[in-house]
Amino acid sequence: MRPPPFEDMLVSLDASARIPAGMVSETREVMALGRRFAREVVRPRALELDARLHEDPDHLDWEFVKTANEWGLYSMWLPKFFGGGGYNFMSMAPFIEEVSSQCLAMANLIGVHYLGVGTLSASWNAQIMRRVFSEVAQGEKTGEPCLISLAITEPSAGTDAEEVDLMDRGEMSCRITRCDGGYKVNGTKIFISNGHLSTWHMTMGFEDLSRPSETAIMLAVKTGTPGFSFGRIERKMGQKACPASVLVFDDCFVPDELVALDHRQFSGLSRSHRQTTMQVIDYVVSTSRAGVGAFGAGAARGAYEEALAFASETEVDGTLLVNHEWAQCLLAEMYKNVSLARLTYMETNYANALYGFFRLMGSAPFFYSMKYAPRPLLDRLSGLFGSGWATRMFRQTHLENQLESEAHRTSGWASLCKFTATDLAVKNGHLALELMGQAGLRHDRRVEKHLRDAKLLQIYEGTNQLNRLNLFKCMAGADCGQAEPFCDCPAA
Amino acid sequence: MLTIGDKGKKLLADAATDFANKALLPDREENDKFPFGPFFDQALETALELGFLHLALPESMEGMGPGITDLCVVCDRLCQVDASMAGILFTNSFAQRLLLAAGEAKTLEEAAGQDSARKVLLAAPVFNNPGEIRHLARAEKDNKNRWRLTGGVPYVVLGGVAARAVLPAAVEGSKGFGWYVVNANSPQIVKSATVFSLGLHACPAVDMTIDGTPATPLAGPEDGADLFRQVADAMQLVAGAMAVGLMKGSFREALDYSKKRRQGGKRIVEWSELTRILAEMSIHARMAEAALDRACQAADHGEHSWEHLAAAVSLTACSLACEATTDGIQVLGGVGYMKEYGQEKRFRDAKQIQALLGLAPMRRIKYLRRMLR
Ligand SMILES: Cc1cc2nc3c(=O)[nH]c(=O)nc-3n(C[C@H](O)[C@H](O)[C@H](O)COP(=O)(O)OP(=O)(O)OC[C@H]3O[C@@H](n4cnc5c(N)ncnc54)[C@H](O)[C@@H]3O)c2cc1C
Repeated sequence: MRPPPFEDMLVSLDASARIPAGMVSETREVMALGRRFAREVVRPRALELDARLHEDPDHLDWEFVKTANEWGLYSMWLPKFFGGGGYNFMSMAPFIEEVSSQCLAMANLIGVHYLGVGTLSASWNAQIMRRVFSEVAQGEKTGEPCLISLAITEPSAGTDAEEVDLMDRGEMSCRITRCDGGYKVNGTKIFISNGHLSTWHMTMGFEDLSRPSETAIMLAVKTGTPGFSFGRIERKMGQKACPASVLVFDDCFVPDELVALDHRQFSGLSRSHRQTTMQVIDYVVSTSRAGVGAFGAGAARGAYEEALAFASETEVDGTLLVNHEWAQCLLAEMYKNVSLARLTYMETNYANALYGFFRLMGSAPFFYSMKYAPRPLLDRLSGLFGSGWATRMFRQTHLENQLESEAHRTSGWASLCKFTATDLAVKNGHLALELMGQAGLRHDRRVEKHLRDAKLLQIYEGTNQLNRLNLFKCMAGADCGQAEPFCDCPAA
Repeated sequence: MLTIGDKGKKLLADAATDFANKALLPDREENDKFPFGPFFDQALETALELGFLHLALPESMEGMGPGITDLCVVCDRLCQVDASMAGILFTNSFAQRLLLAAGEAKTLEEAAGQDSARKVLLAAPVFNNPGEIRHLARAEKDNKNRWRLTGGVPYVVLGGVAARAVLPAAVEGSKGFGWYVVNANSPQIVKSATVFSLGLHACPAVDMTIDGTPATPLAGPEDGADLFRQVADAMQLVAGAMAVGLMKGSFREALDYSKKRRQGGKRIVEWSELTRILAEMSIHARMAEAALDRACQAADHGEHSWEHLAAAVSLTACSLACEATTDGIQVLGGVGYMKEYGQEKRFRDAKQIQALLGLAPMRRIKYLRRMLR
């Protein structure tokens, strides 16, 4: 067995020399903003909002969404040439950690929008990116939030929707049929975060349900399109303020100009349709799972901080809890869990910067020219970056030029991050409650909410089982010729 | 709990299962909405009729005698379906046992003889060890030499439902704490809104602010800690039984679901990683059940150092239940996180139950310190 490659082992060391120094100060600035937002907006409302949703699970908290919109958070990480704030994508994770440490549901109300952004971006369809992202930026000017959701999961396909090998053996049911000038969509998507709050829904469907990975299509569907409607909102244990919606497509017509990716667009690429479907999924999850890792780091930190505050003010057996040796060790364990979760999302981000999503935008020439170019010039470049030329350029850079090993490195690290950070978040929720006993059970002490909220992290963006299998496929077992991921031996 | 070879226990277990399936299961989601929905008074009355609120009492009071196993059997069965009712039985039995151990038969008989559940029930702060905390309530004698309680007692379970509460309080000039019975509906007690808690929503608690309410003493500050220990030694087995019930319920729901749900072209139970998780859940539940059974026997027969075994089993069962119910959600994937299934409630309830009788890490430390004594 060959030892692990340097590039897999020491991603951050490799990245430290190549990442523009300006990103560090920018990330510091973004983190400070995250702290301020968490302190001023999130913490004061987190409990009240959670309790309200306990009472009325159908409540949609437009108030928070509008506030986040006013703070510019929905366009902050969109490219400047599409009207966004142009902040480097890597800085989003520390921001998300700050917000999650106070409320995972509110962090999702922001973060899930970027799951939609990431999905559209992974198609590298510059024309649609320009149209949709400009609407998001416009929504910030008008005060009417324009959010994007991602709709992949179906009633009969959760885990299966995350992996082509499984998809082809499963029962995908969202059918897309070619018609004059576009496609018709029929089917139901479930558990779609922010569904009811979003204007755009990046939707995945299939032309041939018996060969889904070879016929996958990605569409941008706008709320209000005839044939598209919202179903129920799920009754969840936690992350209550972030709705999980059912989306219903009933002969919903989507015109060609909103087709982000289909077989006609795949045809110019050297990978097969099936391979490109997996590559696009990998692009999406390589960033989104790092984002979930940041949710995990935040939830783990929130639980730790509440536990530490409690231990500092509570006497047990006549001594402050924080001065019991066992409690100090337990708090140190929790601190370690937060730090480990953070390290995994940063390492994944470095992998994305060198080999994945941010390789172009995170390169020094691109980063500095975008950062310092005057706004009017960037506005003029919008047409260029929203053109067919840009689509070809983006696809050449990101799809064609990406090696298989690079896709595996980013996807592998993202899975490692996802299941590590989220398991640690749940672990810290458990530990905090054990440390706090009776007090921890109370809603007003916040840790029980952290635990309820954190449990979801082990499920979405691929269950932690799927992510372990993906890490095995991409990195852990990649060199083992005998290994066949996603096959499993039949039960005796 | 194992009931093999014991007809009486088998009957009791079947009665509990029948009650859980008929009176608790159909409204489980609705009942769990409390305090944002109605309280399940009707189910509680049925529990009273079935004798479940008297299980901890002596036979002369229509109870099952001093043993702990019967109560464990019932709580295990209830928790497989819905743990809130078992939380009520736990709290009530804890308080009844305090009264019994203190020899306060009069109050106990008076409460037990009432004809409605709310009048029978006794409230108590069961989620801590009063020997560990700083007391905010104090007991003192008034100028007519009667005991009165003043101050705050947080998280009094059933405080908003029960007629009487058994409360710990400090006593001026002494280090320990005593136990006192008060009228929970006394005008000198102000109750908070129901505490919004992680789990056991239908076993609600309130914070009490007390201003000189008359109190019947059960134990003075020299004996309060001993009385707690005596009662907690046995009651921790009931917490263990609740944990075992949750583990079994969670496993069963997970197994049933995994036999129906298909992913990747086969039933998910056939994916060997999922099989392994289910196996782990089942192994832990069985192991905890067998150990609990043994510990209950030891307790009922007063075997040497039964209380150490009880602590070991209770602590282990409670932490295994937290793991098992976490996996119990995971096996169902997204739907496990939703209210329609019992798994998310079991997860919350298991964590809540782990907090019974004091901080779990302190209970572990005390387990060893007591052995070293
Ligand atoms: C609140 C919430 C928000 C969500 N938000 C979104 C969203 O915005 N957009 C979106 O598209 N989706 C979303 N999801 C869906 C989420 O990604 C899926 O729930 C997840 O992928 C798991 O799918 P499932 O729930 O169908 O579980 P299943 O796939 O049915 O899995 C059930 C169990 O079987 C296991 N399992 C399945 N297959 C295998 C296998 N091959 N090997 C071993 N074990 C296996 C799983 O690990 C799990 O334990 C959300 C889900 C929730 C609950």
